[in-house]
Amino acid sequence: MTDEPLLDIRDLSIGLRGDGVGYDIVRNVSMSLYPKEILAIVGESGCGKSLTALSVLALHASPPLHITSGSIMYDGRDLTKVSASQMRAVRGAEIAMVFQDPMSALDPMFTAGTLLTSAVQAHHKVRYDVAKSRALEALADAGIEDPRRRFGEYPFQLSGGVSQRVMIALALINDPKVIIADEPTTALDVTVQAQILDRLKELRAERGMSIILITHNLGVVASVADRMVVMYTGEVVESGMVEEVLATPQHPYTKGLLGAVPRLNSDAATLVPIMGRVPQPNELPPGCSLPIVAAESSMSAGPIARILRYMVTP
Amino acid sequence: MRSLLKTVVLTFLLLLASSLAVFAAIRLSGGDVTAARLPASATAADRQLFRHQMGLDQPILKQYATYLGKLFKGDLGNSLTNSAKISTLAVEKIKNSLILGATSMLLVFGIGIPLGMIAALKRNSWFDTGITSASVAGMAVPNFWLALIAIYFFSTRLGWLPSAGQGGIKYLVLPAFVLSAEGIALTVRMTRSAMLDNLNQDFVRTLRAAGLSERRIYFKHVLRNSLLPIISLAGLRVGQIVGYALVVETIFGWPGVGQSLVNAVLRRDYPVVQFFSLLLVLVVTLGNLAASIGYTLANPKLRK
Repeated sequence: MTDEPLLDIRDLSIGLRGDGVGYDIVRNVSMSLYPKEILAIVGESGCGKSLTALSVLALHASPPLHITSGSIMYDGRDLTKVSASQMRAVRGAEIAMVFQDPMSALDPMFTAGTLLTSAVQAHHKVRYDVAKSRALEALADAGIEDPRRRFGEYPFQLSGGVSQRVMIALALINDPKVIIADEPTTALDVTVQAQILDRLKELRAERGMSIILITHNLGVVASVADRMVVMYTGEVVESGMVEEVLATPQHPYTKGLLGAVPRLNSDAATLVPIMGRVPQPNELPPGCSLPIVAAESSMSAGPIARILRYMVTP
Repeated sequence: MRSLLKTVVLTFLLLLASSLAVFAAIRLSGGDVTAARLPASATAADRQLFRHQMGLDQPILKQYATYLGKLFKGDLGNSLTNSAKISTLAVEKIKNSLILGATSMLLVFGIGIPLGMIAALKRNSWFDTGITSASVAGMAVPNFWLALIAIYFFSTRLGWLPSAGQGGIKYLVLPAFVLSAEGIALTVRMTRSAMLDNLNQDFVRTLRAAGLSERRIYFKHVLRNSLLPIISLAGLRVGQIVGYALVVETIFGWPGVGQSLVNAVLRRDYPVVQFFSLLLVLVVTLGNLAASIGYTLANPKLRK
């Protein structure tokens, strides 16, 4: 990686602040996205992956969530400090997002075409027919078979796969440099998942875009991503090139995730699940700097036990 | 097309059933039909003759059949009080009620929707708290009381507006506001909660991520989604205004259908009661029909 990072998140903390409560949900997260690379953020639900991604475009629910420290550098600017109108100019045009549930992420009252042309006209002063031709192009680029027909259709008329392609068209339409895809295939069946992921890879090759892919599917990571970041309880616990991390995971949590992946070439008869659930930020013990006590023991499955098993040594 | 035909048939059946209900109710409610027309000195024989002339001594079912037969021929009958043809006497009343009712509907949506939107946009501000509290009061206060308070302040104390009667637009202000008060309050609350609900939907985040301005998201996308429940309940607002018009027109001396109906009931003027009641049923039914057509047009899922 000789290039400068395109998007550089440094020591980012995001906290919940409100009536008498105050704790950080995402703590000291750092990650860099280099030009033309696909970076995967992995971890279970509740690890702070989506929140970190949303905060790049200031889309987190604020209040009660606030960026409490750190920076998000893009194109020489700190995105945590830009004005609302400057942020609006970045959204969609520089950095675009694809969300996970396409059925609820599209406005049910407007056609796909209206959404797409509105997105064009939000950034460019162009006539409607220009916006429309760009919308049709974007639909085709997103891998939609019959762009003219889909242009006039409402979200309820679209299948999950087509909806997700409309979302991708919406992300592509203003030709951004970065696309953040937050579990873009979770709601879709396996064949459509593969098509969508292939399309993302092709787009990276055709347009030289950089992609952040949020997922909890390590199979997806292995087949699509260049580098990966593993997040747990709001912190980055491991990062590196995908082959290296998957071949020689250093952190017990990464090992735990890998242990839970089904393999066809293994003799193991049962999967090893990670017991219990991700501890919520308010369940973390003060200080949050417990050493790893016992990794492979048959400890109970409570959240504290998990912290003991998977917490990074400071 | 089929559903339209079904609605027309149902409306017709509803009107038929209502005509019977009204016909029976006014006759079963007691009172003396001759008292309004004949002097107090009239003898029992005079009163009997009057009943006979008006066909009121016939069996009730026969009376109903005669009434229906005339109705289908377009003959609305004459008032028992002054023998005037109802078709002539009703025109002016209907016009007056339409002016009052349409103004009130306009106020309900023209004031209710913008206030609800501002309250949602500035939620938890003093403005929102003020609007929300006022709308709770608007729903709780009965309109006859509100009418009296409004007359006391704006007519008696301040002398700004006339307390009753009909003339220019000044005469319309108080009755229209009193008539629409509860509708405005309900619309404010519905708009506010629908806007807040839709602001938290996933699609708003998608639109923000695409770079659309907050104003466009709010006024185009969130508003359009929030209008659906308001349109679907617009039929209820029509019913409310028609019902309240009886009270409000009477208090403000507004010479409309409501006031005439109340007077006719008091005088046991059967034909007038029957016609105006049926008219109100028709208006409420058409209001609901218009609301469901509006809902179908506004909802892409039903339109397609």
